[in-house]
Amino acid sequence: MNEELLGPGSCSAPAAPGSLGRVRATDPADSDIVIGVKPGRPADGADGFVRCAVACLHLARKRCEEALAAHDVSTRLEFPGSIYHLPIIYGVTGRPIRMLADVAWVLEEAEQRINSKSAAQLRISHSSAALDVGMAVLWLAEVIEALKYLGVGPAPVDDIWLGAAADGIMRARGIEFIEESTPGFAAVIGEAPSVETAVALAHEMQQKSLYVFMAGEGGECLATGDGFDRLPTIGAGGTTLAEQLIEGGVQLGWDTRLVPFGREAFAHVHSIGFAVRVAMAFGGVEPGDCRTLFAYVEDRVPAFVVLLGPVTDLQCVVAAGAMNFGLPAIATHDIPTTLPSTDCTRWRVVPRVPPHDLVARSIEVRGLKTVVGEMDIPVAYGHVFSGERIRNDDLHLEMGSPKAPGCELLLTAEDVEDGRVTVVGPEVEDLSFGSTVPLGVLVEVAGRRMQKDFEPILERQLHHLLNEVQGLRHMGQRDVLGMHLSHRAVEAGFRFEHLGRIIHSIMHAEYSQIVDRVQVTVFTQTEMVLTLLERAQAVYRERDERIGSLTDEDVDEFYSCTICQSFAPNHVCIMTPERCGLCGAYSWLDGKISFQINPAGPSRPIRKDNVLDAARGSWEGINSFVHDASHGAVERIDLYSLLEYPMTSCGCFECISGVLPLCNGIFTVDRDYSGMIPIGVKLSTLADMVRGGAQTPGFLAHSRLYVGSPRFLSGDGGILRLVWMPRYLKESLRAEIEAAAVAVGHPDLWEKIATEDDAVEEEEVMSFLARVGHPALDMEAMF
Amino acid sequence: MAFEAPVETAKGSVIEVVLNGLQLGGQTALPFHWFEGEFSNPPRVGFEVWDVAPTDWAKPLAHVYSGVWSEPVAWARMVVEELGAEAVYLKLMSTDPNGLSRSIAEAAGVAEMVADAIDVPLAVVGPGAPEVDAEVVQAVAPRLEGRRVLLGPASEENYRAIGAAALGYGHGVIASSPIDINLAKQLNVLLTRLGLEENSLVMDPTTGALGYGLEYSYSVFERTRLAALFQNDQKMQLPIVAAVGEETWKAKESRAGDDEMPGMGVAETRGILWEAVTGLALSLAGADLLILRHPRSAELLRATFADLGAGGAGEGVAQ
Repeated sequence: MNEELLGPGSCSAPAAPGSLGRVRATDPADSDIVIGVKPGRPADGADGFVRCAVACLHLARKRCEEALAAHDVSTRLEFPGSIYHLPIIYGVTGRPIRMLADVAWVLEEAEQRINSKSAAQLRISHSSAALDVGMAVLWLAEVIEALKYLGVGPAPVDDIWLGAAADGIMRARGIEFIEESTPGFAAVIGEAPSVETAVALAHEMQQKSLYVFMAGEGGECLATGDGFDRLPTIGAGGTTLAEQLIEGGVQLGWDTRLVPFGREAFAHVHSIGFAVRVAMAFGGVEPGDCRTLFAYVEDRVPAFVVLLGPVTDLQCVVAAGAMNFGLPAIATHDIPTTLPSTDCTRWRVVPRVPPHDLVARSIEVRGLKTVVGEMDIPVAYGHVFSGERIRNDDLHLEMGSPKAPGCELLLTAEDVEDGRVTVVGPEVEDLSFGSTVPLGVLVEVAGRRMQKDFEPILERQLHHLLNEVQGLRHMGQRDVLGMHLSHRAVEAGFRFEHLGRIIHSIMHAEYSQIVDRVQVTVFTQTEMVLTLLERAQAVYRERDERIGSLTDEDVDEFYSCTICQSFAPNHVCIMTPERCGLCGAYSWLDGKISFQINPAGPSRPIRKDNVLDAARGSWEGINSFVHDASHGAVERIDLYSLLEYPMTSCGCFECISGVLPLCNGIFTVDRDYSGMIPIGVKLSTLADMVRGGAQTPGFLAHSRLYVGSPRFLSGDGGILRLVWMPRYLKESLRAEIEAAAVAVGHPDLWEKIATEDDAVEEEEVMSFLARVGHPALDMEAMF
Repeated sequence: MAFEAPVETAKGSVIEVVLNGLQLGGQTALPFHWFEGEFSNPPRVGFEVWDVAPTDWAKPLAHVYSGVWSEPVAWARMVVEELGAEAVYLKLMSTDPNGLSRSIAEAAGVAEMVADAIDVPLAVVGPGAPEVDAEVVQAVAPRLEGRRVLLGPASEENYRAIGAAALGYGHGVIASSPIDINLAKQLNVLLTRLGLEENSLVMDPTTGALGYGLEYSYSVFERTRLAALFQNDQKMQLPIVAAVGEETWKAKESRAGDDEMPGMGVAETRGILWEAVTGLALSLAGADLLILRHPRSAELLRATFADLGAGGAGEGVAQ
């Protein structure tokens, strides 16, 4: 029975070391309920947990008896305006409750689940026992809440309390979960330490577009062992978050996303019931298919439980019930616990989170995607402004290079407060028209899926992201960063602070898959900028070394790119750490990040699998992917050789290399060269041969920088085969070629490469090579 | 020995989407290759109806519709009852932010009235601005609950909002992508990942009219269908809808009068042929539902489909 309640991917087995930890109630003697694993804990807390569940059972029973005294057994039992019966019971068991008579089996089933668990069982590593009891209590709570609509117990809709939401509301709001215009809901139980804290908490949740579902009061916990009738008022004397918000003058209701379901914690069945109904309405989840149900809710209706104030037994039991649906519990008070090391969220209980950290922590624990609303900036934003130049007479501020130090740096950090923007140094209004000011932009991000490797890629996005601001021009990158700000933008109210606002919003909008929190600091004071610059340069160096040292052998996966299939339907690019896409615009890392952001997009990880020819760079996994992705047009590619199975090209290449058979070498030509190539054709002819996904043995299209890679045609002899290239290409790649040549013991190679000034006929190239003693002539025959 | 034509059998099939009794897709053969597999659902002919009277439709269209086009319900009835529309494509142009920008609730009310008035499948689409389209669909979806209409156009920008509304109220979605086979596939993947069943999706990979990109559309339609049938690519097996009328009647050749384009034939028939030729080409490439404007081009196309032996008879071809 227990197993049945654990959905797919549940961490019951792997999370065994230290799952839930203990949940503490206020009475020290009655405090520790070990829902999780810790063997050897005191017995008392688990007793409290079970006692509370038993109390709920008694209460439900008592209320049923009352109802049956006043009503016929065939009286309808339902939540108004819903076709989903009592949705949790219906969704999990598949059995609809239609009338009072149907309650009998629920009570029996719940009793069986509760009574079959001893306190001892709850203490040892049967986390599922606690979940099971929690589920039973949710069913009882659903019955208790439904009975209220028959006049048994307190009125469900009363004063500020809204009671159950009709299906119409559920669907209208459920759409927001499916379209992800809300990141999720918080099921809040208890009271904040003060009205001010309550209001601040609610506002923060609203800002994050979260729904706040409220039920259950706080206050000191009373013993639950006797006086079952008093259970619903378990937090005697306590108030509720909803009431605190009313006192603070906050408007509640579905429109403000602050939804008070009921005064008793039982009313949280409307929170869970909401999620269950969304799963049935939008996910087509069949009632009774609880595995699918749990998985769906966890995936599509992200939510979490917030326990405000000292944690009571009832809160624990309700939270345990919610955990079945993947809701972690985050509490302001003490729940000493060991967090599981997996990133599985449903089993997590996080204690002692101060109210001001609650939202950020919850979002992170539950892994919610933040939804950022409209950017509040005084100027327009969009693609149309990305090419905008700022004329001299409109140039209000020149920031950063070339006239002053400037740099931008994006780092992952631990202590990131989402949305925080700090300006250190003078603001725009402190600077007069025509000023020059140093500029340092530090963007710190955090995210469960953020990786250090993504830093430079995200940092590079700052260019296009800030260029789309009307009246702002962003130039360069890294430590050659400069910006121009127009007078009009300043007049409109643009400040340095807005740089941070924009970066924060757009990072969330475009990279929400990897970034959870973003904070920005803008430095405009010289010493501070210089300090940042120094730090940044160290980071750049480290990055360059790291990226530069990453080789094809270091990874098991290469990345594909099929962006160009829109016009070259059978072309597939394979990007490796040592070879970027042939357009020069996408690297292996770009592919990796692009896949994180959009797994259905143009880049996929491809496992290399068995090696077919290590020297020429041929792997089974790569070939099989290329075969499929080229729709059967290409059977095999050799990544390091152009002789037989060169990679195909879409047409966006920067260079083409080809064999010069007489010279025992290759030429490399780029797109800008319009003269004759030593094989007797011009680039345009050559381009026609290789583009459109064609595989042309002897010719390879590639990026400029590939020439300097240790993997440059390494299967054919590498850089030493390079015998001819256009003069300016040779000049512009001098550093790369020299470095590569040094690495293979020919430091003077660069001098020996012919250009159009030396030769344009292959025979002339040949005599040039003989004259300078080009190493290619001494290499073994290419074929 | 008699000649035996080689037969190429497909590995996959196009998903059959059933709307109000009308079947779209479902074939296991290339268009009109009834001799190679199942091709029982020939391209269907739907008509475009707006919720406001168009001010810029060409004269030949005005001749047909000006009597009804200020009354969307009457217009919809006419295309169904008099012109034999197999589906109605209701475009809520009144909500166009660059046009009348009328209330979305009001437009949704019109959609409901039109749905009440006809018994053929209905598609309800916004004016073609992603944000507004999403709002329109979210307003329309609940009002047409239980009727299972097609909603759209869902694009990369708004597919979540449109998909969610369709999911919540049991409708289908038109997945619209900009003449790019990969983006088309990506959108299909995204929509199914959202939870929509394949049999509630149709794809609109964008129509280019004759002289205005028809060859691009042809190629994308054709490749989509080839991927569906011969590579059994399940994310490409959706029926294809083509907004033929809207695109062809934008072309200046369809709109210019007799004097403006001497040598290009009579204005009245020029646009009709433009629409018919575009529609026929795309039908041969794989379109399953053509959205037309002029009744004459619809007649021409239906006659041609019959000649091509749609339905499996094939006598027309033999003759």
